[in-house]
Amino acid sequence: MEAGFSETYECREISEGTPKRSLRNRSKPKKYGDFLDLSPVKRRSIIEDESSEDDEMKRLCPEKPTALFCSDDVDGQDIFKFKSRHTKNDLQNIVKTVVSNSPIVTNTPMKTPKKVKAFAHLQNMSEATPRQVTDIIKKRIIREVESDSAESDYSDGSSDDFVPEKSDDESESPSASASSEENEEDGSGEENKKNCLNKKKGQFIKNRDNKMKPKDSEYVVTPDNYFMMHSSKKITTSDHTLARLKNMNLNDEKDAETYVSDEHKNKIVELLQSYEQLFNRWLYVLSENFNIILYGIGSKRSVLYQFQVQKLKDLPCIVVNGFFPSLTVKSILEAIVIDLLENTRVPSNVGDTVNLIDSQLSENGVDLFLIIHNIDGAMLRNVKAQSVLASLSRLKNVHTIATIDHINAPLLWDHSKLSKFNFTWWDVTTFLPYIEETSFENSLMTHRSGALQLSSLKSVYQSLTSNAKGIFNIIIEYQLANHKQTHYQGISLKELYSKSREQFLVSSDLALRAQLTEFLDHKLVKIKRTFDGSENLVIPIESVLLQQFLEQQNN
Amino acid sequence: MATVSVSKGVFTFAEAYKKSKKTKNNSDSWVNSLFICEPWYLQYKENWNLFENEIKQLHHKTYSILLNDIVNYINSFCHLHQCVTPEGVIPTATLLTGVNQPDHVSQFTALMNLIRENVTSHIAMINSQDGTSVKLLVENVVWQLINGFHMLDNSQDDESDDENFEHKKRRLKKNQCTMKALLKWYHSKYVCGSPSKKKHNANTKRLLVVIIPDFESFHCNVLQDFVMIISSYISKLPIILIFGVATSVSALHKSFPYHVSSKLLIKVFHSHSSPVYMNQVMENIFLTHTSPFHLSGKAFELLTDVFLFYDFSVTGLIQGIKYCMMDHYYGDNIKSLCCPREKIDSVVMDLTTEDLENIRQLWSFRAYLEKQNCREKIKLFEDDNFFKEILCKEMLRLHDYLFIFYACVKLFFVFLKDLPKNILGKSVREIYSKCASENITCTQAFKECMQLINFQSQLKLVDSIKNALKEVNLSLQIAAPIKPLRATPMKNNLNHVSFGSDFGYSFIKSVRVHLMTFSRQIENAKNEITTLVTNNTEDLDVDAETPLGNRYKLKEKLLRATRVDKVQSEFEMVRSRFVSFLEEVFTKGLKPPHTQTFYEIIFFNDVSSVKKQIVGSPRGAIHTALSNPIHYLQCKCCVLPSSESVAETLPDVCLAYKLHRECGKHINLYDWLQAFAAVLRPDEDDEQRYQDASVQLRFTRAVAELQFLGFIKSSKRKTDHVMRLTW
Repeated sequence: MEAGFSETYECREISEGTPKRSLRNRSKPKKYGDFLDLSPVKRRSIIEDESSEDDEMKRLCPEKPTALFCSDDVDGQDIFKFKSRHTKNDLQNIVKTVVSNSPIVTNTPMKTPKKVKAFAHLQNMSEATPRQVTDIIKKRIIREVESDSAESDYSDGSSDDFVPEKSDDESESPSASASSEENEEDGSGEENKKNCLNKKKGQFIKNRDNKMKPKDSEYVVTPDNYFMMHSSKKITTSDHTLARLKNMNLNDEKDAETYVSDEHKNKIVELLQSYEQLFNRWLYVLSENFNIILYGIGSKRSVLYQFQVQKLKDLPCIVVNGFFPSLTVKSILEAIVIDLLENTRVPSNVGDTVNLIDSQLSENGVDLFLIIHNIDGAMLRNVKAQSVLASLSRLKNVHTIATIDHINAPLLWDHSKLSKFNFTWWDVTTFLPYIEETSFENSLMTHRSGALQLSSLKSVYQSLTSNAKGIFNIIIEYQLANHKQTHYQGISLKELYSKSREQFLVSSDLALRAQLTEFLDHKLVKIKRTFDGSENLVIPIESVLLQQFLEQQNN
Repeated sequence: MATVSVSKGVFTFAEAYKKSKKTKNNSDSWVNSLFICEPWYLQYKENWNLFENEIKQLHHKTYSILLNDIVNYINSFCHLHQCVTPEGVIPTATLLTGVNQPDHVSQFTALMNLIRENVTSHIAMINSQDGTSVKLLVENVVWQLINGFHMLDNSQDDESDDENFEHKKRRLKKNQCTMKALLKWYHSKYVCGSPSKKKHNANTKRLLVVIIPDFESFHCNVLQDFVMIISSYISKLPIILIFGVATSVSALHKSFPYHVSSKLLIKVFHSHSSPVYMNQVMENIFLTHTSPFHLSGKAFELLTDVFLFYDFSVTGLIQGIKYCMMDHYYGDNIKSLCCPREKIDSVVMDLTTEDLENIRQLWSFRAYLEKQNCREKIKLFEDDNFFKEILCKEMLRLHDYLFIFYACVKLFFVFLKDLPKNILGKSVREIYSKCASENITCTQAFKECMQLINFQSQLKLVDSIKNALKEVNLSLQIAAPIKPLRATPMKNNLNHVSFGSDFGYSFIKSVRVHLMTFSRQIENAKNEITTLVTNNTEDLDVDAETPLGNRYKLKEKLLRATRVDKVQSEFEMVRSRFVSFLEEVFTKGLKPPHTQTFYEIIFFNDVSSVKKQIVGSPRGAIHTALSNPIHYLQCKCCVLPSSESVAETLPDVCLAYKLHRECGKHINLYDWLQAFAAVLRPDEDDEQRYQDASVQLRFTRAVAELQFLGFIKSSKRKTDHVMRLTW
């Protein structure tokens, strides 16, 4: 089970409200009052008291999830581990371990005795940022830890809100983990500081039943760490850019076969075969009015395709590509109501549409299968779409099979939607590449080259009249000349008009506007209205690309 | 069947629909063709329908009181409407439903049906998605109020066909539905309508009921305006509002300012809290010996945990049990033995040799075998008929065991209920889950409980024995061979008890006899302790001697009193005898299910497989696949020393994922690529490696996939950097 569910655990505690708990709450305000005129040390001890009281409460309160979490669950620590400070050396260290096949303990690259040849380049890279910078940051963080130590200790009391309930023994000592984590953190700082903090804490650690486990110390989820990480505005990565690569444009090779080793290919085929054995079971589950959701790494299109071909051949199906960038809920409803049920129009109200589908399907005694690839797709990531899908899936004659890939996909559904969906969850990890799914998306690596944008720009440009081309060139040139202004608003209509007139491109304001509608329709330019009411024109394309475009045109 | 296109995202495969429409196929044909001839499927269907009916009845029972209250409240306005309420005030019922929203649907439909039967046919139920603005809300309300009547009218009397036609013609379009239209319609209908209807409505006004089941999901402003609009019409239209509030009444007060809430005459109704309801469902339907399917302790815990810690939804819980049941029966013919007692004989007869062989493979059968002598063993394996006989006998014994077990659980609960500290829990389900998962009588908690009973007062003990007797009588009644009058015919055939039940029945009967004698004994037992005479004389001496040194003497006296051996009173003796009797009964009756032969057949035990389907862990699966792909792939090449480590054989996504976990909030794409390349091509020369297009391509794909999975997104903070979206 995932650890992320601890929130639900919290809310239950509130609603159950054992009498003892409420008693503790009542005594709380008094203690808070006491806080104000206590020294930090004393204050801490009181918080300790309270948290130990809390522990006791938990021991008394027998209701803890017993069956939800078991040993073969994925460790929450693995998924949600919160590294308080990432250094850029981490990346090199891990590479080093692979390359040299020897564990590297040290944190700084300076101390590493081994100089593997393959690694020389990375070594240089690390030196690109001066060491002083990291030192300064380190010091600042230490200072913050020191000054906020009281506050960070305060989190001890509440830290069990944040520690996911992975297993029982770990959750029993949340405060222990919190404080020991702090020790660890100081460990990177000066020794004496660590000692004095330890001295302060010694007394508390003792009366904590010695439950502390070495493992706990690694697991750090405290709010302070989060803010500390985000407090520094500075990005401490190296300044390298992809411009260093010689072959930047890979677009021609994009369609090339993705690389998977032979052994993995065989194993993936085996995996897929094992999933095919589930098909009958899925039918059984669907027939009992459950719906199916598939998750796990890898494209699940082929599995679903097989399912459709093998089992749903003679049954009405609707296949929805959730990753399709201009998908709308309306198009789904239209497909059902018009294409399948052969009505002439879709009712304007969504609720009516669902009712119509329900009545027509049950009248004809037909079951509809709704296959949704990526129900978490970009266009379906809104409450409205999901509630429509949920109310469709609830119908007795509609059976939904959906897939999710995004890690936060389950956040789409509140519990009333979940109960409408009535999902059964199936782990269908395929390791197949997401070719179709990512084809609509701008890849982070390639979109910089902007080939798609550039080519579409070119094709529209070529269809323009020479006058329109001239106007467009004016806008581009102006934008390139001025884009470095802090708040570039675009070229104002007035200015564009006067410039175009100078070049005898247009004769009147109206003619210019007529030309502009062409641009607007193709989304070549955007109109921005400034606060003083004038209209400004901006091309929503990066200036580097524009430059490139201009160069190509001039050639 | 290509389902990818750059121009559309939805693909329809409708041929089958048209075909089936022509032939008028039965909709279930696709299911039936697969499973209909399987015994397990039939048995599953039968049992589930049984449960479903019982749940429906229970629903009905639990809702009826509350709903009747509401209906009475509404009815009270039928007659007194004008005189009681001041001008412009809308009578309102507020139903506090609790946060388990999925359950409310059935509750509100039940309420609607009840109102429709008893009060008025003009009801509108508006969910929040239909009321996003005042206009929409009013339209929907008015439309439902007017047309809800028509729908009913049409179904009731078909004789007036032309009148119906007229209705249809007059039926308003939705955008014409305003309050004015409603007023007009109401007037034409009831105030100056046809004479026959007028007669009917002479003394009572026809009420208009508007139900808003999810109050919190509405916009405050919409509801405020809506209330104000209605209150201006209230003198002419007798409207009643019903709000379903999930949290507390204060939600109502928070979203309505004074000038709005003063227009409402609110009466609050409380519904059961969902844990209470859940306990009811569990105790009455699933935790009885009459239920053909049982959950093992672990499975039971899982489902109740999901309920208590995730959703509080009884509907969800029932779906969970349903899923367990489906899983239990799926594809396993021997599970057809998991049936009501009276069917066992016929089912055993129908088992094939293969099924019998499967039964012989069961773990609990091995334990049974070990107890048999050699000849029996051989016979069990070779003679199918003999085995069937034994199977029959053992299944009946198992049902006997169930009878005793559940009776004992309930008995145990009666005694535990009043004990302090709630050592074993405060509801039958908690006690069940403990009893079903381990031998409860060997545990420390059980001993503590018995000790606590040993401290109970006479009165209390008599009380709980009486309650226990009631419980025992109840279970005896259900199982009695000579049946008294039955309330429901359904129960009748459920509880039909065949010959083998004597053992369980007589056991419980003897418990009853014992309980009765104990109750009598305890009631009559004297509680005084006969004190020693010597003490008295001494006391007298002391008193006579020094009346002044009172306190010291008193202390002395008390000290002496403690030294005197305590003599057990009659009650105490009986009590300790009673406790040992209880211990004996529970040791016999509360043996955990897994000690029984063939328990696998009727107890669902495969928790781990079901758990994945009921509570999926998509994030966990993704993480496992990325950090330890061998878990899924089972390949030889990706053996990793630890989950952190990296190898060049890993799939590209995994490699990129592992490298990105070593970075901070921002990741430099170039550095990332370098690290990626260094892992893949450790031996090559720098220059060569970094310009290798294939590595770059693979990296690009991996990054695109990570982006698709939501681990990273592009960032404008620095060129060629991406942002990490996880910690």
